[in-house]
Amino acid sequence: MNPTLAVGLEGAAKIAFVWAVVLGAVLPNLIWLERRMAGLIQDRPGPNRVGPFGLFQAVADILKLFMKEDVVPMYVDRLLYGIAPLILLVPSMTTFAVIPFGSTIHLFGRDYSLVVADVNIGILYVFALSSIGVYGLVLAGWASNNKFALLGGLRSSAQVISYELAMGIAAVAVFLPAGSLRLTKVVEYQASGTFLGFLPLWNCFPQIVGCVIFVVSAFAETNRVPFDLPEAEAELVAGYHTEFSAFRFGMFFMAEYLNLIAASAMMATLYFGGWSLPGLHLTGLVGSVVSIAVFAAKTGAFIFLFIWVRWTLPRFRFDQLMSLGWKVFLPLSLLNLVFTGALVLWGVI
Amino acid sequence: MPAWSGELVVFGFASALALVFALLMVVVKTPVRSVLSLIATFFGLSVLAILLAAPFIAALQIFVYAGAILVLFLFVIMLLNLREEAAEKDDRPVQRTLGLLVALALGGLLAGATLRAPVPPRGVPTRASIPVPDEIPALGRLLFSDYLFAFEVLSLILLVAAVGALLLSKRRFE
Repeated sequence: MNPTLAVGLEGAAKIAFVWAVVLGAVLPNLIWLERRMAGLIQDRPGPNRVGPFGLFQAVADILKLFMKEDVVPMYVDRLLYGIAPLILLVPSMTTFAVIPFGSTIHLFGRDYSLVVADVNIGILYVFALSSIGVYGLVLAGWASNNKFALLGGLRSSAQVISYELAMGIAAVAVFLPAGSLRLTKVVEYQASGTFLGFLPLWNCFPQIVGCVIFVVSAFAETNRVPFDLPEAEAELVAGYHTEFSAFRFGMFFMAEYLNLIAASAMMATLYFGGWSLPGLHLTGLVGSVVSIAVFAAKTGAFIFLFIWVRWTLPRFRFDQLMSLGWKVFLPLSLLNLVFTGALVLWGVI
Repeated sequence: MPAWSGELVVFGFASALALVFALLMVVVKTPVRSVLSLIATFFGLSVLAILLAAPFIAALQIFVYAGAILVLFLFVIMLLNLREEAAEKDDRPVQRTLGLLVALALGGLLAGATLRAPVPPRGVPTRASIPVPDEIPALGRLLFSDYLFAFEVLSLILLVAAVGALLLSKRRFE
């Protein structure tokens, strides 16, 4: 076969697989899981009427969003109002391209790595995309021509920029021991040995501080409780998406859940060994499938954490959020970077 | 190299994107749309950087310029709530002539430099046909050896600017 065509087909197949799993399986079940978990935590049944255990609730929810009337307020900036949800949605759908979701798979006499694009800029790609997503929130707030929406948009940009700094510096420390920005290399490094002789070489052990900073910042980056200030309903109605209805609102909804999935996958990849599991060295097709399953389980654990926290903790105040980001996380992430550098220099990790 | 290749198509598309939106940035009257046009221009430029086998530069272009600096631009515009650019009171004939002259001079300089640049011989690929394994370590090594002094001076200048801005805003509040 023509080599260009083969590369193209391989890429298309991987993209189709990733999107089918994320959009077709994880996203709808995540909506269901969130609502059922909320019910469990608040001691009520939650949605249990549509299908067995209410499993088809997500289908009903999405169908409802499709069917509703799309109300566009009079004094909005029509162009920006139209593209704002898309600006948010597109980056959140493309983040998955660089995350390795399995080891390698041997099919039709060839080895294929289980990542859509193994680019050498790795995490920079993820950060670049997530920083583009901010524009979706800011523009949605601005284009709505509504005070609450504008305040929500401003809050979101301030919040995301502040936490991106701490998150970025925490992530830099991950690449020091691995020696590469490639996410595949980061996972291979974590699978390669032990830390202090008995722990797996996952970054969450030597860089426990960086790991905590990254996880907490991810809550701020994805606008989840306790950091969902841009849409704080007690103060801002619904923040930046106050004026959006029907499927335009649905796009915001979808993008937020996709960001949540991507953030969980990033945590599993950067700090918890990605698709690897210590002591598990299966080969062949079974090994490939198991590696995908391990990755899915780790990502699922973080998704569970996101939901658990959302229905357990109250919301922060905005000044508390900002002072936590700038006065606590930023210095701590710098300390973590120096500490990790020292560990690498002395050959501990 | 064939006259018609995928690379050429992408190059044409990215440069058209960058040029059109650069023009729009100047022409458009709403400040928010100006900023957005600039972001689209940066996207075009970063695609060009990828074509030159420099994905690191491309990512920084998006991450730093589009993702951080322009968000601050947008932030300020929204805080001041600038909806429409104020109409010019007088047409400033001196500035207009001077601006035109400088633009023409710069354009002439760039055109001259492009025309006088050596043309790559035919048959030699225009981009590195061997994929660069990792340009980031090489870049880091250069920054911390040959260009260490310039690098440190630059960071000092940025620090001075930040401290200065802080001082100014503090004085106004007191």
